Amino acid sequence: MRFATDTGGTFTDLVVEDDDGFVRMFKASTTPDDPIRGVLDVLQVAADDYGMSRAEMLAKGDLFIHGTTRAINAIVTGTAAKTALLCTWGNPEVLVLREGGRIEPFNFTVPYPKPYIPRALTFEVPERILHDGSVDQPLDEAALLAIIAEMKARGVEAVAVSLLWSVVNPVHELRIGALLAEHLPGVPVTLSHEVNPILREYRRTSATAIDASLKPLMTTYMQTLEARLREAGFAGRVLVLTSQGGVLDAADVARQPIHSINSGPSMAPVAGRYFAEADCAAKDAIVADTGGTTYDVSLIRGGTIPWARETWIGQPFRGHMTGFPSIDVKSVGAGGGSIASVDEGGLLSVGPRSAGSVPGPVCYGKGGVEPTVTDAALVLGYLDPDNFLGGAIALDLGAAERAIEERIARPLGLSVFEAASAILDVVTENMVQAIDDITVAQGFDPANAVLIGGGGAAGFNSVLIARRLGCKTLVMPQVGAALSAGGGLISELTNNFRVIAATRTNAFDADLVARTLKDLREKAEAFLAATGDQAIESRMTFSFEGHYPSQVWDIEVPLPSDRIDDVKALETAFHDTHEALFAVRDEGAPVEIVSWRVDVAVKIRSGSIGQMQNIGRGGKSTRRNCYFRETGLGEVRLASFSDMTEDDRVRGPAIVESPFTTVVVFPGSEARKVASGSVVIELLGENA
Amino acid sequence: MNRPLNHGAETRKTGAIDGVKLAILNNRWEAVARKMANTLLRTGRSGVLATARDFSCCIVTADNRLLATAESIPIHVLVGPDMMARSMCELHPDLKPGDAFLHNSPYHGCSHAADLSILVPVFDDDGRHRYTAIVKAHQADIGNSIPTTYFGHARDVYNEGALIFPAVQVQRDYKDIEDIIRMCRMRIRVPDQWWGDYLGMIGAGRIAEREIRAVGAEFGWDALVELGEQWFSYSADRMKAAIAKLPKKTASSSSTHDPLPGTPAEGVKINATVAVDPDEGFIDIDLTDNIDALELGINVSEACTRTAALIGVFNSIDHTVPRNAGSFSRVRLKLREGAVVGIPQHPTSCSVATTNVADRISNAVQTAIAAMDSRFGQAETGALSPATMAVISGKDPRKGKPFVNQIFLGATAGAGTPGQDSWITIAHAGNAGMLYIDSIEILEMAYPIRCYQRRLVTDSEGAGEFTGAPSLMGEYGPDGCAMTVNAVSDGTINAAKGAAGGGAAAGARQYRKRADGSLEELPVVVSVTIAPDERVLSFSCGGGGFGDPRARAPERVLQDLREGLITADRARDVYGIAVTDGHEIDRGATQRLRNS
Repeated sequence: MRFATDTGGTFTDLVVEDDDGFVRMFKASTTPDDPIRGVLDVLQVAADDYGMSRAEMLAKGDLFIHGTTRAINAIVTGTAAKTALLCTWGNPEVLVLREGGRIEPFNFTVPYPKPYIPRALTFEVPERILHDGSVDQPLDEAALLAIIAEMKARGVEAVAVSLLWSVVNPVHELRIGALLAEHLPGVPVTLSHEVNPILREYRRTSATAIDASLKPLMTTYMQTLEARLREAGFAGRVLVLTSQGGVLDAADVARQPIHSINSGPSMAPVAGRYFAEADCAAKDAIVADTGGTTYDVSLIRGGTIPWARETWIGQPFRGHMTGFPSIDVKSVGAGGGSIASVDEGGLLSVGPRSAGSVPGPVCYGKGGVEPTVTDAALVLGYLDPDNFLGGAIALDLGAAERAIEERIARPLGLSVFEAASAILDVVTENMVQAIDDITVAQGFDPANAVLIGGGGAAGFNSVLIARRLGCKTLVMPQVGAALSAGGGLISELTNNFRVIAATRTNAFDADLVARTLKDLREKAEAFLAATGDQAIESRMTFSFEGHYPSQVWDIEVPLPSDRIDDVKALETAFHDTHEALFAVRDEGAPVEIVSWRVDVAVKIRSGSIGQMQNIGRGGKSTRRNCYFRETGLGEVRLASFSDMTEDDRVRGPAIVESPFTTVVVFPGSEARKVASGSVVIELLGENA
Repeated sequence: MNRPLNHGAETRKTGAIDGVKLAILNNRWEAVARKMANTLLRTGRSGVLATARDFSCCIVTADNRLLATAESIPIHVLVGPDMMARSMCELHPDLKPGDAFLHNSPYHGCSHAADLSILVPVFDDDGRHRYTAIVKAHQADIGNSIPTTYFGHARDVYNEGALIFPAVQVQRDYKDIEDIIRMCRMRIRVPDQWWGDYLGMIGAGRIAEREIRAVGAEFGWDALVELGEQWFSYSADRMKAAIAKLPKKTASSSSTHDPLPGTPAEGVKINATVAVDPDEGFIDIDLTDNIDALELGINVSEACTRTAALIGVFNSIDHTVPRNAGSFSRVRLKLREGAVVGIPQHPTSCSVATTNVADRISNAVQTAIAAMDSRFGQAETGALSPATMAVISGKDPRKGKPFVNQIFLGATAGAGTPGQDSWITIAHAGNAGMLYIDSIEILEMAYPIRCYQRRLVTDSEGAGEFTGAPSLMGEYGPDGCAMTVNAVSDGTINAAKGAAGGGAAAGARQYRKRADGSLEELPVVVSVTIAPDERVLSFSCGGGGFGDPRARAPERVLQDLREGLITADRARDVYGIAVTDGHEIDRGATQRLRNS
């Protein structure tokens, strides 16, 4: 048995795949004060459904795959640890000046970003290493000890150490690490040459600072997660989703928490690409994951998952660079929990504030008073108050109606139905803007893509979004309500190793290269050996990064194997790659190689995602009273994910329902079911 | 991109203009320009290009109007590319696919000789010239008589010494014209580095050609022209609406470049008269009241004069107005032939046209607008170029080869604005902070240089309700060789002034630091050879403050104090904020200070 969980802002999702390949999906509320409790809660829900005790079920498990927004939330809300930066004397502005650069040259309304670690907690260490690794100025240990005393007095909770040229000679960083361990025990430390061995001190320092600031929190979190799972009866392997769209062992993530920044959201494109291809053979897809709090979008083009070479937390040049490439997902504050309000000027806005899981929408009856998108959907009849999340939460329709009446309808002079429709319209607009940013703003017409609607709240308005974008096809995957967790099931165990070993093709150091590649192979093999018996298939891909003489940016060129017999062929491969990327080649010029890399990917499952088993509908009715702008209030057809056959055509207005999601088939659209279990909706007529 | 908010099921078409299609197309053009820029950045070889990003990419219509740019340094692209494309069309009436042209003539629309550009005319399948892709890149060297691309003391273009290319054909049938390449290789220092940069520029131009042809095939060439016209007219309307928000006033302001040998004793004072007509939606800027061109390299080319004035305007209005020929048409300039700013005549040297005096034009315009109404405009942006932005040269002992390149260790010069503190890494008005700053590691790897210090100077900001940038101190020196350092500085005597009651910033300073630690102050035009055991110490000119410092929010003052940007004395004396020993605000004392 395999478990994939994703802790979102509102719900904790779980997808369980049993040994026969069948899957079941579950949801429970996220518990912000102790997110692991939410994980255990959802496991309990699953155990109940399988008719076992939780311990019994967990004992059958070999893999537990976890996605968490814990790291990014800590950064965004400023609750990461109080972190100090130790830098080389003379270079204290590394996080202030960054690498320069700016967007929107005439926009003076945006403030200059504050450094990730304030100047007040930045300490200059007297030492200097040069570009060739030689020690120009030895480490002044007495000065360092004084700095440590000062940090102790200031209550520093984590330390980032990033010295100039540490990637060429780490001796001072290592010594500082040792002295910190001795004199500041228990305070976690990140050394720049370990976390991100790249040249360019800003991005390396930024990665170091972010990583260190997450350590206290994430180490505790990972250790607790593992311990409580063990205690609950799970003996298998605990893996965590990474920003790179793969998984790593929880203990590795605790050591380098920076890799978990985009844990969770990065899996939606992986799953979305799978369904775009499986359900409509589409190569271009917009993958949208509607959670309770955020709307995460990404654009698959030509079957390729979007990859950001330089990842920023926040906007480029205004946020903080992580120093690592990652899957490119854009996130805006819009979702099922987004709060609707009317301001003094009579303007209706929805989000980015969210009711989250606590108190949640008004209809949850847990103390929420401000109406949300979910309340609007309930009022419009799109949700079944008695069968929400399979009946796990009984929804209070009357409370939702009263809140919308009082706070939205009356101030705007609308009926409750009109007000609820307006809430959906506004949140739709916000979501369309987010998609515009990744399509229209890149010169890509969204009408040429299929829309993949994932997330529990996606069904309320995905048809409206598709219509606004001009998309003709919308896919609602069966595991869509837990898209990231579903992606977790098909993710691969990935890692890469990189060694800096410079040489050039006209003075090729064959011994150095052979040693380097051997070293890389050993590292990769050690990683593979540790992957245990879950590995079905593994791949090792070697590459090098290099440039023409005096070029400053490297390009990555794949190597056919880890043996190099013909340097000319290596050169030719570089020329070809360069020309493909940049339209020119410098035939005859030698190539300077900076570093060598191996990427390891381990497949831990095979085949397609199985049919969902637990989507039988609770309610027995086949009609429901719903309000649509075009048709007013009236009974519409109610179909279910499980009962639909591939021949069925459900024409809007109608509702297609599973315990986890409600898909509103608006007038002018038609739903059908496809082999994978997904519901595909075509937008008909001139609006399509 | 902002799509107008319409509710739900409404159609996406708005009247005669298809707003969404227009938005998609405009963003597509910008994406093409970005792709060009990325190619150049990733393939370039000189630090000025591949590290600092001192280049720009844009697309101009067949009738030579600026259509779209990748976000680039403003002084490069607002006006200039259109003039260069026009000169290409006039000088080469028989353009053909496969052609490419070199252009760096300030007498034909280029900014200055160092900004060597490549123009690639793009054709449809019928061989009709449709667009021109332009790549403009500041070169590490351009063959001047001394190893710098900013030659402040150049008496004229002959003394300056750069090769001048007034739209000279460099490719035919997609092949280099080797004569031209050989000329460049004979004149430009470190020819292999130049060759690599040339390849990157050609690559960017050819990528643009490929992408533009794809856009043409997708949308149809004639439809593109029609949509282009819609875009220009939309942009002009947006500009008109932005100008309508300004007061109906005329104001004059001036900004003065520090004196150097050959200028009047007071320096080069730039006068601008700005007249805003919100009813008709025009801004008129008169720059004719300025001295004649000087026998120096600091005269400003026509392209840079026009652009610098526009920068002053765009720094002062709604930033969402698109910048292209449509919006530019609402700003009318009055220029004079033969003036230090305006329309310089050959052989007047414009070697330093993109920075020093040009920035004084922008400053005069934006402070004139601030003088009309303190909700608009900006304080003065600090002056370039301190020695942290110098051109360095010498012989690299590690490689046994000569080197020449501009370094970008940083300059902090951003101005205070009506609603926000400065963007501190704005190096001067013309670059708007778009340039990258050198990584010390990359710089030390590429050149025989040691970077000892780089830090912000406490109490050096332009004080104001919204502060200007503090000064940046940098200390560097050669690593095992002698090093020639060339920079044309400014802002030592005329530091960046505040506006609307804001204070001036600390000015620029440059020193030679001798082996014994003693300092020798260097003149405005820095041109020195530093011995192996010496260093350069440089302070950039910060930015002016905006508004009364005593109106600055106490929390902002406190934050500056905690971060070490200002001292408690300055918080008290300049901002009227008293603090306790524990760095908390002393409310009572503060109230007394601010009421006094």
